[in-house]
Amino acid sequence: MTSEEIIEKVKAGLADAIQDTALPQGDAVIFVAPDSWHAVAEFLKNDADLKFDYFSDVRGVDYLLEEREPRFETVYQLYSIDHQHSIRVRVGIDEDNPSVPTVSDLWKGALYPEQELFDMFGINVEGHPTMERLIMPKDWEGFPLRKDYPLTTEAVTFSYNRDFKSDLVKSKPPTR
Amino acid sequence: MSVTDQGLLHRDKDTMTLNMGPQHPSTHGVFRVILEMDGEVVQTAEPEIGYLHTGIEKNSENKRYGHVIPMTDRLDYLNPPGNNLAFCLTTEKLLGVEIPERANVLRVIMCELSRIASHLVWLGTHALDIGAMTIFLYCWREREMILDLNEEISGVRMMTSYIRIGGVAKDATRPWLDGIRDFIEYFPAKVDEYERLLTKNPIWLDRTEGIGAFTREEAINWSFSGPALRASGVNWDIRKAQPYSGYDNYKFDIPVLNNGDIFDRYRVRVEEMRQSRIIIKQALESLPEGPYKTPDNKVSLPPRESLHTSMEALIHHFKLVSEGISVPVGETYVPIEGARGEVGFYIVSDGTNVPARVKLRAPSFMAIPGMCKMMEGCYIADVVGIIGSIDIVMGEVDR
Repeated sequence: MTSEEIIEKVKAGLADAIQDTALPQGDAVIFVAPDSWHAVAEFLKNDADLKFDYFSDVRGVDYLLEEREPRFETVYQLYSIDHQHSIRVRVGIDEDNPSVPTVSDLWKGALYPEQELFDMFGINVEGHPTMERLIMPKDWEGFPLRKDYPLTTEAVTFSYNRDFKSDLVKSKPPTR
Repeated sequence: MSVTDQGLLHRDKDTMTLNMGPQHPSTHGVFRVILEMDGEVVQTAEPEIGYLHTGIEKNSENKRYGHVIPMTDRLDYLNPPGNNLAFCLTTEKLLGVEIPERANVLRVIMCELSRIASHLVWLGTHALDIGAMTIFLYCWREREMILDLNEEISGVRMMTSYIRIGGVAKDATRPWLDGIRDFIEYFPAKVDEYERLLTKNPIWLDRTEGIGAFTREEAINWSFSGPALRASGVNWDIRKAQPYSGYDNYKFDIPVLNNGDIFDRYRVRVEEMRQSRIIIKQALESLPEGPYKTPDNKVSLPPRESLHTSMEALIHHFKLVSEGISVPVGETYVPIEGARGEVGFYIVSDGTNVPARVKLRAPSFMAIPGMCKMMEGCYIADVVGIIGSIDIVMGEVDR
């Protein structure tokens, strides 16, 4: 199906749940609220004409600098192996208590990228079996890919070797 | 923390927890997996990643578009042109730039050479893990030729950054084209040699046939892609399904097998090397004359000579070097077929010269949970084979 046909089909099947649709550069994009996302996902996967059986990816986006409401967005990319078409689903998420339902019960492939959402953006994925740090260390504080998390460098803790040739070196090792 | 606190030692259970990695040689990087063993059989396998996290996505949000390309090389470090291409295609889609035909063909040649090099590294190390020693050095011998070709065209052996926004970095040189012609004449006999060493070798068959098998439905559900998916009977190659960079102009086959075990993944990749050679051969024959990058000077630098005579070219040059490319507001995603599967960058642009969000869809990252699922019920000796057969690259897993 072409992107226009996909959007028509989704609109016909789920009139209430779809907030908006768009066709940027010819891609099919639909906007969904977090509450209705799981129902939409089930429809997209099980409908015979759409049949989005392949979970391609999910990304978090932080729109803090654009002062947009809602602040966060999770963007799902789905693909249909049989019909060879794809769709992008954008789910807007509020800043206070950000959470979105899991779809890892429909596509097992969603397990890891959804865990990364929590790790990098602090978005709580409801119903996900392991809501804990994935890439960052277990005791890490903060969510690195949020826009209010600064890009900093970490002080490197080298130990100094004593310079025997001259005792003029008075500097001390840097403290963290 | 002590061993008991971490839950690694259970005095009340019959199983044993075994830690594998992060420095285990078969993990080809820093991948750790915690195995719950019942004798020699794996009960559960729990992956642990993040040892190679370098914050490339965060860094990309603070760099200009052109400056992100060298970082994409470091993601999947065995197939750098694939990452370059994925990033450039997405940016070009947002910019709406047309790429000259010659640049497209050069991109295809570079990507397919790199796919062969990547599969050679995979075959050599995977066979070495299982115990076939000889083939490792054979594969390195042929890969060295591709690295020399990379050096000739881009000055760098591995992290080429050859594909740029709007075209490629440099036009093809005669020694490079001659070198590729020699290589594609020389290469098929070598693939046959690898197959003679392995395909009917009884030890190899014992270690690979029927092990780590995934059905078609499982492979799709666990978001496998690339050769690992095609070995499970799914005929999906993005080069055919959603052609980019003129892949629809070439005649080539997509190898698809049905058992989904280690042996089929091996056969799919070996056949892919042959098909890549066929694509390169056609690309060399059809290489058109013309510019190697877009003439749009808002995207690519004007020719050096024109700076001395044209005021406009000088302004464009100054703007591009000091400011970079400004990309219109939007968000998009373009998938391509990398050596390991679907690679693509999701880019959000806020209209400035720095991307607002860059997210890599990494095939190795997506395959790790499924790979660990595959290990359940296998012997511990087969864990090494399963990790090798999925061909994970930790650079793109941890990013």
